[in-house]
Amino acid sequence: MAASVPRKIWQTLGAIKTGVILLILVVILSAAGTVILQRPATDADEMQRAYSPQVLRVLDALRLTDVFHSWWFVLLLSLVSLSIIAASVQRFPNAWRFFSRPCKSPDESFRNALPLHKLIPVKDEEAALSVADRVLKKAAFHPERIVRENSFSLFGERNRISELAVYIVHTSLLLILLGGNIDALFGWRGFLTLTRGEQSSQVKPQNGSARNLPFAVRCDGAGQENYADGSPKRWWSDLAVLKNGKVVLRKQIVVNEPLVYGGVRFYQASYGKTGKLDRLTLTATPRDGQSAKDLTIGLDETLPLDADTTLRLAEFIPDYVVSDGHVYARSNELENPAAHLVLESKKSGQSINVWLPPIPGLEQNESSPYTFEGKDVQMAYFTGLEVSHEPGQWAVWAGVLVMGFGLVVVFYLVHMRIWIAPVRDARGQLQLWIGGTANKNKDAFEHRFRELVEKIESELKISVEAGAEAPAAVLAGK
Amino acid sequence: MARATVEQPPAVTGTTLVVAVGLGVAFLLFMAFLNVVKSGNLLNDSNLLYAALIFYSGAGTLYLAFGITGTPAYIRYASLATWAGLIANTGAVAHRWYEAGHPPFASIYEMLLMFVWTLAALTLIAEKKFKVKIIGTVTMPVAIVGVVLMQLLRTDVHPLMPALQSTWLHVHVTLAMLAYAACALSFALAMMFLIKDKMKTETFLAATSLFSVATYLGVLTRFEKWGGFSVIAWNPEEKSEVFLSRGVRLFVVIPDLGWLLLLVLAAVAAPLVLYLVWRKTQNRAFLNMANRAVFLSILLQVLAVVFFVLRARDGRYASLDADGLFPTSLAASPFILSGLVSGVFVSLLYLLLLWRRSDLERMLPTADELDRITYKTIAIAFPLLTLMIAAGAYWANRTWGSYWSWDPKETWAAITWLVYAGYLHMRITRGWRGRRAAYFAILGFAVVMFTFFGVTYLLPGMHAYA
Repeated sequence: MAASVPRKIWQTLGAIKTGVILLILVVILSAAGTVILQRPATDADEMQRAYSPQVLRVLDALRLTDVFHSWWFVLLLSLVSLSIIAASVQRFPNAWRFFSRPCKSPDESFRNALPLHKLIPVKDEEAALSVADRVLKKAAFHPERIVRENSFSLFGERNRISELAVYIVHTSLLLILLGGNIDALFGWRGFLTLTRGEQSSQVKPQNGSARNLPFAVRCDGAGQENYADGSPKRWWSDLAVLKNGKVVLRKQIVVNEPLVYGGVRFYQASYGKTGKLDRLTLTATPRDGQSAKDLTIGLDETLPLDADTTLRLAEFIPDYVVSDGHVYARSNELENPAAHLVLESKKSGQSINVWLPPIPGLEQNESSPYTFEGKDVQMAYFTGLEVSHEPGQWAVWAGVLVMGFGLVVVFYLVHMRIWIAPVRDARGQLQLWIGGTANKNKDAFEHRFRELVEKIESELKISVEAGAEAPAAVLAGK
Repeated sequence: MARATVEQPPAVTGTTLVVAVGLGVAFLLFMAFLNVVKSGNLLNDSNLLYAALIFYSGAGTLYLAFGITGTPAYIRYASLATWAGLIANTGAVAHRWYEAGHPPFASIYEMLLMFVWTLAALTLIAEKKFKVKIIGTVTMPVAIVGVVLMQLLRTDVHPLMPALQSTWLHVHVTLAMLAYAACALSFALAMMFLIKDKMKTETFLAATSLFSVATYLGVLTRFEKWGGFSVIAWNPEEKSEVFLSRGVRLFVVIPDLGWLLLLVLAAVAAPLVLYLVWRKTQNRAFLNMANRAVFLSILLQVLAVVFFVLRARDGRYASLDADGLFPTSLAASPFILSGLVSGVFVSLLYLLLLWRRSDLERMLPTADELDRITYKTIAIAFPLLTLMIAAGAYWANRTWGSYWSWDPKETWAAITWLVYAGYLHMRITRGWRGRRAAYFAILGFAVVMFTFFGVTYLLPGMHAYA
């Protein structure tokens, strides 16, 4: 008896009732997952606002706040997969027998059991069968002669694959679930933020520690294009993949058009201001009357102004405000910029603080040998890249393609079979027995069957007439 | 007028037709009253859509008129009107496409446009090819509700945000609309099947009353203290709902409207109660009373729609959550309005069935045939649903780097798919035919409607812009 327990479990898993109950559970639980706020997507504050502490504790304990990643949902989907496998394995041998060894010769009991059949009186077995053969061939039924010890007949069929369609669909479903499982186990998602010229091989994952890629990604430029009304039209980033310091791939990515390298995909996800300076362009005019010159300087960069003086950009505040003798940044927007320049003299070792615009209490602009004027400010932008690795997605797409094919077969390909055998009725009259069956869409098949029978009848008549003339023609020829 | 028809329902009179057409015209004037006709270029998509609305309403009225008078000729005119509506609808789609520079699949407005178009096209196919002549009686009201909704939702052409600039999106949405329209058709066919399958008219009474009661119960979740009724505040300049903070909408309270809706709830509940009393006592007098109560409830429901529109159309109301008066607009409450309008339609369809059942049955193919056609439409809808989900997953994968993220819309699309998968399994392996299959098809369409509307408005998620 002990051995029958696994067997019973196996049988239960394969039962259609089990499958339906599991599917109903999936439906109810995933519906719950859309109604109850879900954890990673909703932040903790919002959760606390939406639910009372007790309710939240219960929901958390039951994993109802992260349904789709909870162990019981995974278990449920695994059970669904098992149930599909069990059902397919249990039913497949029968279907396969049907598929690989079709019943081709209609014996007496088969003929009596088939509801759709017709009898046509004929004179000659051989002639009748060859006419039927021709008609079936024309209707793409691929007829074959079946010769048995004491009978011979004709068998034709179309779309036999339709018998296996369900298994094709179920296989595709398993492929999709397999792909999803692979991704759940081995896939990861993360984020990478780059500014122009920056490169990185570290991806910040959504949870856990940083992930090192075996290659680096450099951003050679990023930008945004707008519609006339100011709403964003396009974000782009020029990316370069570096392996061992060498560029191996370059691509401009936009939303919907990722970069793929080594199974890792980089998506354009966000774009924005860092609040930091990229380049500042200044006009420096010496006080001694020499000609002015334009300089472009980055943060913490030092440029020589003349043989003695160097210029350093010590600070840049995009939106400054002065309070209690200190300079603060109000925002990251380029609203009210201030630049802190430091002039250093090699000879005297003296340094002078220049503020643009002059900020009383901090600036020493008057003692500087140069006057400065800001000409242009280029702010640094970052490009946010969503990074993902989904090794299982190929199984998913393969599954989708197979499913598309399988569903077409399930719904639109009908397995039609036709048997034709010469028989003698009770009075010894020779007749052509024609029977047919289809595995779905039976009413349409019935119509088609009737048409085929009519065709055979009319062709038989013609051949009989032609047969009557034939000997005469032969004689005439002689 | 219609009171008279209650007393002598089957009378084939020209007056009833005139009254029916008059109702249709009144409905259209009522819509015009909502300022839907825009000035400017005569052939803009709004005006074309209005023309489509006129023709669809005409078709719907004629289908109803056929129901009341039993004159087969009206069916011919009805399908002509559907053709005209379809042409106007095509024009609206084309204009929208031309104006926006991209196929019109980007917002819920544009998707409704495609949905209604597909539904009208499929109605004509079902009528011509499968000879289901009165299918429009069910599908046309759905189309009309769709067009009314579109009139309320904003119609400005928005430039496409970057994530939506993808061919896959268009493939996804086209497939979705085709699939949903096929589902709508299968629903209509399942209803026809139930009529032809001699399902008792009383059962339809129970079902339609239950629908109305559920609708009004849903609407009355907005009932406030002292008979108020809260609706979402609307910012007319930005043409958007008013948000207090991210995801939290500001509600304003329309005083006294709640009492009226409560009264109408009582009116629509009355037939249900009387039906239950009839079931208990088996006294047919109660059933007759229930049928009269349906008629009365239609009048009250129309009254509710009118008052709701009058009060919620514009005007400034106080809010419980913020000081001051805030404006509101019908555009802020499309689902309440469509719920109320569908309530009227459903009750009207019941009356049609009550008065003209034998004529309806005469116009329908056999029950077996209807059962088969229902299955065939689902056999079309299911692969479309599958491909729609696959195209959406592929698009999401190219845009967000993940083909499946259990976002509510995705999950509900999967649920829809599972429900129809269940239907197919029961039909193929368990041989479910007839009634049970028809119930399943109806359930499937209910889930589709929830996925299409409910998820967008009730549940948060990535599909927020759609």
